[in-house]
Amino acid sequence: MGLLSLLIFLPLAATLLILLLPANLQKSYRYIALGITLTQFFIAGSLYLQFDQSAAGINTVEGYQFVEQIPWIRLSLGSLGQLEIDYFLGVDGVSLPLLLLCAFVMLMAVGASWNTSKSPKGYFALIMLLNMAVMGIFTALDFFLFYIFYEVMLLPLYFLIGIWGGANREYAAIKFFIYTLFGSVFMLLIIVGLYFSVINPETGAHTFNMLHMMNPDNYVDGSFFAYLNNYNEVLGIPARMIGFIVLFIAFAIKIPIVPLHTWLPDAHVEAPTPVSIILAGILLKIGGYGIIRVCYSIFPDMTVDANWWLGLIGIISILYGALNALAQTDLKRLIAYSSVSHMGFVLLGLASMTAEGMAGAVFQMISHGFLSAALFFLVGVIYDRVHDRYIYNFRGLASLMPAYTGFVAVAFFASLGLPGFSAFIGEAFVIIGTFNAESVGTGIPRWMAIAGSLGILLSAVYFLWTLQRMFFGQTRVKGGEEWLTALKDVTIRERIVLFPTLALALLLGVMPSLVFDTLNSSVLNLVSLLSPYF
Amino acid sequence: MEGLTTQISTLLDQIMVSIPVFKPELILITAFIGSIFASLFIDQRWKHGSLSFAIAGIVLSAYYVYTQLGQTQTGFFGMLQIDTLSVYARLIILGLLLPILLLIQQYTKDNGIKNLGEIYSILLAATIGMNLLTISTNWLMVFIGIETLSISSYILVGYFSENKKNVETAKLQSEATMKYVLFGSVCAAVMLYGLSLIYGFTGNLDFTSTAHIQGLIVAPKVMSSIAILFVFVGIGFKLGFVPFHLWTPDVYQGAPTPITTFLSTVPKVAALILFQRLFESWTSTLFYFGELTMLFITVVGIVTMLVGNLIALRQSDAKRMMAYSSIGHTGFLLMAIISSASADYTTLLFYVSVYAIMTIGVFAIIQFLEKNIGSTELVAYSGLGKSNPVLFTVFTLLGIALIGLPPTAGFIGKLLVFTATFDLYQHTKDIPILLLLITGALTSVISLFYYFKIPLFAFLRKGESTERTLPINSVAYFIAVVCGIAMLLYGLFPNLLSGLFSQ
Repeated sequence: MGLLSLLIFLPLAATLLILLLPANLQKSYRYIALGITLTQFFIAGSLYLQFDQSAAGINTVEGYQFVEQIPWIRLSLGSLGQLEIDYFLGVDGVSLPLLLLCAFVMLMAVGASWNTSKSPKGYFALIMLLNMAVMGIFTALDFFLFYIFYEVMLLPLYFLIGIWGGANREYAAIKFFIYTLFGSVFMLLIIVGLYFSVINPETGAHTFNMLHMMNPDNYVDGSFFAYLNNYNEVLGIPARMIGFIVLFIAFAIKIPIVPLHTWLPDAHVEAPTPVSIILAGILLKIGGYGIIRVCYSIFPDMTVDANWWLGLIGIISILYGALNALAQTDLKRLIAYSSVSHMGFVLLGLASMTAEGMAGAVFQMISHGFLSAALFFLVGVIYDRVHDRYIYNFRGLASLMPAYTGFVAVAFFASLGLPGFSAFIGEAFVIIGTFNAESVGTGIPRWMAIAGSLGILLSAVYFLWTLQRMFFGQTRVKGGEEWLTALKDVTIRERIVLFPTLALALLLGVMPSLVFDTLNSSVLNLVSLLSPYF
Repeated sequence: MEGLTTQISTLLDQIMVSIPVFKPELILITAFIGSIFASLFIDQRWKHGSLSFAIAGIVLSAYYVYTQLGQTQTGFFGMLQIDTLSVYARLIILGLLLPILLLIQQYTKDNGIKNLGEIYSILLAATIGMNLLTISTNWLMVFIGIETLSISSYILVGYFSENKKNVETAKLQSEATMKYVLFGSVCAAVMLYGLSLIYGFTGNLDFTSTAHIQGLIVAPKVMSSIAILFVFVGIGFKLGFVPFHLWTPDVYQGAPTPITTFLSTVPKVAALILFQRLFESWTSTLFYFGELTMLFITVVGIVTMLVGNLIALRQSDAKRMMAYSSIGHTGFLLMAIISSASADYTTLLFYVSVYAIMTIGVFAIIQFLEKNIGSTELVAYSGLGKSNPVLFTVFTLLGIALIGLPPTAGFIGKLLVFTATFDLYQHTKDIPILLLLITGALTSVISLFYYFKIPLFAFLRKGESTERTLPINSVAYFIAVVCGIAMLLYGLFPNLLSGLFSQ
């Protein structure tokens, strides 16, 4: 069993172990979860250190590392040939940093769920199941396997939001589920279409292998998604464009883009803190990752045709998300909308199709991954104490909780893109990439870069305004004396979670090469995959 | 006189030769009679007498069906056609009957019903009818098969209605039976009328024969179209597709739960196989009735999926919800028929067996809960998930399989059907087929809403009463868990199931 399989199946083993242990050992569940996520973090970390940074990834199996490929399902379908599905894992420069992020955020989530008292057995079992699914998504290279992990991820999340969530949890849980499933069932149809269009050059059979799907030579002439001799149209739109659009929508729901973002604020507001952390830290990244791995790599020609629209959607998400964040009075909702805004940068960067822009986009995903996790954790800190998070119910917290205020201030400054923190690097690279796009000729106009910068400005406005409203001035809280005693400063456990996260933001802000070096050759390869179609 | 004697001897010869072909059904007939006698004489001393007879008959019959594998035979002047499809179909039917027999036994035990051994023999009679449907291409045999099945089903639905204990349920059951009989006989009559027209046009009752097809080609277009549509009425009644689905909700809700389990699974397999044969032989010709059949099934498939799933959204009773869900699945089964390439039925058989297993699992749980909490209302499941995690995890898992989500076999089945249909679309570029695909995908999303009502009530809502752990002492519980595990196992390793169909 390879290291990647170990990463995926360790949490599954933890799930089974937790389910088998009797309820009187329920104190041990969180230690099992912690132990497993720590192990995963070290495995992912060691993979990161061993990774050969020159490997190009993306579309060749040689470019991937720690590859595991075992034949899994071989179904004979008579005249339709044989269904070939492999258990095929591997990581490249794009997925490995995200995998490490995943392990890190999971660790934070377990830290944040330390005091869960409502049926901890089911809770930790589901968290571990979710952990398995997301690890699988970031490593799977077979589209079928990818899809299975993608769908399996939904089930634990439904229950995590639905059982441990807030007042309106049923609505939020099913809304989240429906949105994602809506995208993914149509994705299934496209997967089937791709399956019939692509031939495995070694065996001559149809295949679900994503890497084969990325090579134009493997397409059957005249098949539904063929590059050549393809006159297939659906409602007057070429088949390949339809394929691209459907897959893009499936992942765009996850990012989420405006106007498909409405599940996000609901899900975040209702979800318990650890689930919010996972949602913001990992799940939104699955959208961005899916666009790179699937939409960009399998449909590069269509991506180039569509990228003006992608850029526009990115801009709209950035500005609309930011303006919405300005109007929020619920702190968690504000951060949810700030996520929409920040993930818009990812899309803008990807649309720019320049090396800087795309590297910036991946960097932004990683930076937003742990920063938004930290922000949601910080909201959780205050919510745990007084079960309220309305901005106007708090004032002058700085004198009451000085350390907490310090953490919040750092997290806010880091998120709004202050130079020296990771978000600045990500956003700056995206803006630079977008600005350069016109000279490369990818079709992204310069005004989009300017609109993106406006988004950074707006994020400074809402973060600083919130800081001012909640933390500065005369101490005054809605709940009176009771709240004043309840609002204790951050505990040791909370410090242990927060400190490394914010230190990481600073570290990556000062030494972005830690990520960029790993990322670089894969991003360059992606650009070279796209550039023939410019 | 001389000529007649030689004719008689050839007739007798033919019959003698045909008897081995008919062996599995003969065993069923023997078991049918045997279990009637057992219920009369043995059941007083040993209460499982008739049940054991039925089970032994089914197992033995399945064995003889299995020996027919790999050989193509005809019997009784081409009335019976034994081929691979019919062997697998009958094996599935017989295999599904075993859990259903056990569920019925559990039901009679739970409700304190005694001396009702005849129910097993009626079930065996229904099985004979279903077997006939899968091995015949002759309209006469088909009609006999459908009627045997229908009449047995009417009795099964109303069988427990004299149960004095619960007047309300008994009333519901009589009502369901009445509706079922009326609807069924009208459909049968219409079908018979259609058949008589078809016989008039063709002079031949074998729907695969050349004479039959040629007859249909020369017949006046309007008349033969009407005749064909009339025939579809009869099949539509058995399969329960729109617009002949109107009986399903009431009958499913009114019938005793194990009988509902039976009605929603096994007869569908039989009717589906018949429809598959019909579809194959008619659409292989390039004439208008081939197109008519194709268009009919496509449109009906789309409408059935939409109607079944959309109405299921509004249901609050688990059995009624499952009735509409099974209508929706019928639409999907029609899609499987359209897409299944000739001479390869892996997709169809895979989907149909997966559908049957998950449906049996769900109904087993409904039966178990009905016994323990006395209700089939979804609201009554509130808060039970926490105290009975295994049961409701299995329930949720089966729901996931019914939606068609990984990692369950329901997903693999759906994927196979989508794959085959997409292949068809790629060849024909027919817009209706694309619409069929899109509807199939869309209704999966819709079905999520109602299947997830189960975990919604069980896990997310709190119950009114205090938490209670239900006693695990029922065959139904065991069957449900086995079905759940099978769904997961076949989902991860579909070869285990599909391998059975490709020997």
